[in-house]
Amino acid sequence: MDKLRRILFWLVVGLTALFLLLPTLIIVPMSFTTTTTLEFPPVGFTLDWYGKVIGAADWQSALVNSLLVAVAAATLATVIGTAAALALHAHRFRGKALVMGLLLSPMITPVIVLAVGMYMVFSGWGLVATRLGLVLAHTVLAIPFVVVSVLASAGMVNPSLAPASLGLGASRWFTFRRVTLPLIMPGVLSGAVFAFITSWDEVVIALFLADAQTRTVPIMIWNQVRTNLDPATAAVAAILIFLSALGVLLSYKFREARP
Amino acid sequence: MTVSTNDRGLPVATAPRTFRVPPAFWLIAPAILFLALFFVFPLLKLVAISLPGGSIEYYEQIFTTPVFLRVIGETFRVSLIVTVVTVAVAYPYAYAMAHGGRAILLVLTIALLIPFWVSLLLRSFSWIVLLQNSGLINDFLIATGLIEKPVRLIRTPFGVMIGMVHILLPYAVLPLYTVMKKIDLRLMEASSICGASWLKGFARIYFPLSLPGVMASAILAFTLALGFYITPALLGSPRDMMIAQMIAGQFNEQLNFGLGAALAVVLMVLTAVAFGLFGAVRTALQLRGRSKDGM
Repeated sequence: MDKLRRILFWLVVGLTALFLLLPTLIIVPMSFTTTTTLEFPPVGFTLDWYGKVIGAADWQSALVNSLLVAVAAATLATVIGTAAALALHAHRFRGKALVMGLLLSPMITPVIVLAVGMYMVFSGWGLVATRLGLVLAHTVLAIPFVVVSVLASAGMVNPSLAPASLGLGASRWFTFRRVTLPLIMPGVLSGAVFAFITSWDEVVIALFLADAQTRTVPIMIWNQVRTNLDPATAAVAAILIFLSALGVLLSYKFREARP
Repeated sequence: MTVSTNDRGLPVATAPRTFRVPPAFWLIAPAILFLALFFVFPLLKLVAISLPGGSIEYYEQIFTTPVFLRVIGETFRVSLIVTVVTVAVAYPYAYAMAHGGRAILLVLTIALLIPFWVSLLLRSFSWIVLLQNSGLINDFLIATGLIEKPVRLIRTPFGVMIGMVHILLPYAVLPLYTVMKKIDLRLMEASSICGASWLKGFARIYFPLSLPGVMASAILAFTLALGFYITPALLGSPRDMMIAQMIAGQFNEQLNFGLGAALAVVLMVLTAVAFGLFGAVRTALQLRGRSKDGM
């Protein structure tokens, strides 16, 4: 009886792990199929789908848009979020909990609500169908990730180091640049990676704010998935998964680099 | 900012003037200003659009028209079922992570985090391929002789729920794991020495101790489930529409911005209420933890 329970338990856990991994694991092999429909297991081996994607003008322009928007949004969110996290870390002030709530609330607001709200406001400001509009929207989504990441990092820094630097005669700016910033750098960089991926993967807001000229890679995938499922989509997915994996590895490396 | 303190509560202001860190205001002002303009303002704008001239006609329309009530009901139904299934699947998984040893913890954590890092869109895409008539799931079921011809899995509520459970599972496992790893398994041993069966020990000791984790993970899953858009749009049929799709439809197709905004406000309020519950449970949990430490 006891043994049966144990077997059943591990079977359930094993199946759950398989369930979690399955969708990710099948995407990459599917991109190599020689058939014109998505098959798993794939039939034969070809890199044609990658060539087709990389050679297509619309995918190229979407890729450029995605990269520009994600880099800009990640930079903006990292600067704004890091400054805010440092203030939250180093100071106590009235309404701190409220500010913290504001900074983190984009995380739990349903994206569709944000998307339509931004659409209404941004159309009045001439920001719809511009890359700038996408950058601003994605920065909103990314700020909470930077704040959380930098706060975690700042919490582990020895709090007497900055006063020591100041005490030895360094200016405040010098202390920030040479003492505080290097110490929290792992958190800043992993926050930046989170921010980049947030923008890179975002589709709902982009559906409302982008047009044919400013559309990003996730929108291209969305359109493909809704119209025809072909292995080219799997090739794009494989490329994205590769880039995400690279980002995750980088962010862990930054964490390990902590002094 | 007369007396500032560092994170250990030591006053910094006792040091000479030059020692002071830059005022918090200048560090935090850009973030507040940015979010006020591009986050809070759009949400307030939606509220304003949903109440033209202070009239609540759109809300009346939502709460009296069967179509909208059905969609809201469907959203609740799907979210509830998905939450129950997610927590039920997450429970043994979190248990294995908490009590299975280091190697198991590592493997299960990796399995949990890999999908976490692949975008929602791609995972929904993958489920379409897996669930389609010629997909792996149907092939497997036919091969095992469970069914004779392919069963329709995508464009059904079942497909939506599979996709949603998959996305919510990591969110549900983590709070459960946090609570479970603090539970002392010797309590179960003690109960068994006292003659209780495993089931009785579990029902009377382990499960009640893990209940805060169950609550936290259920509320988190439910909160997130309410706002799902991509998964139901790709894996579901238009007939079982959820509220997020209806909002998008009002803006994209019907061009009824007032009604769409009102629906968005309804979703926002529902989410805030659900998440407020999450906060309440977490506070209760912390209080409990503290009182236990004090004992």
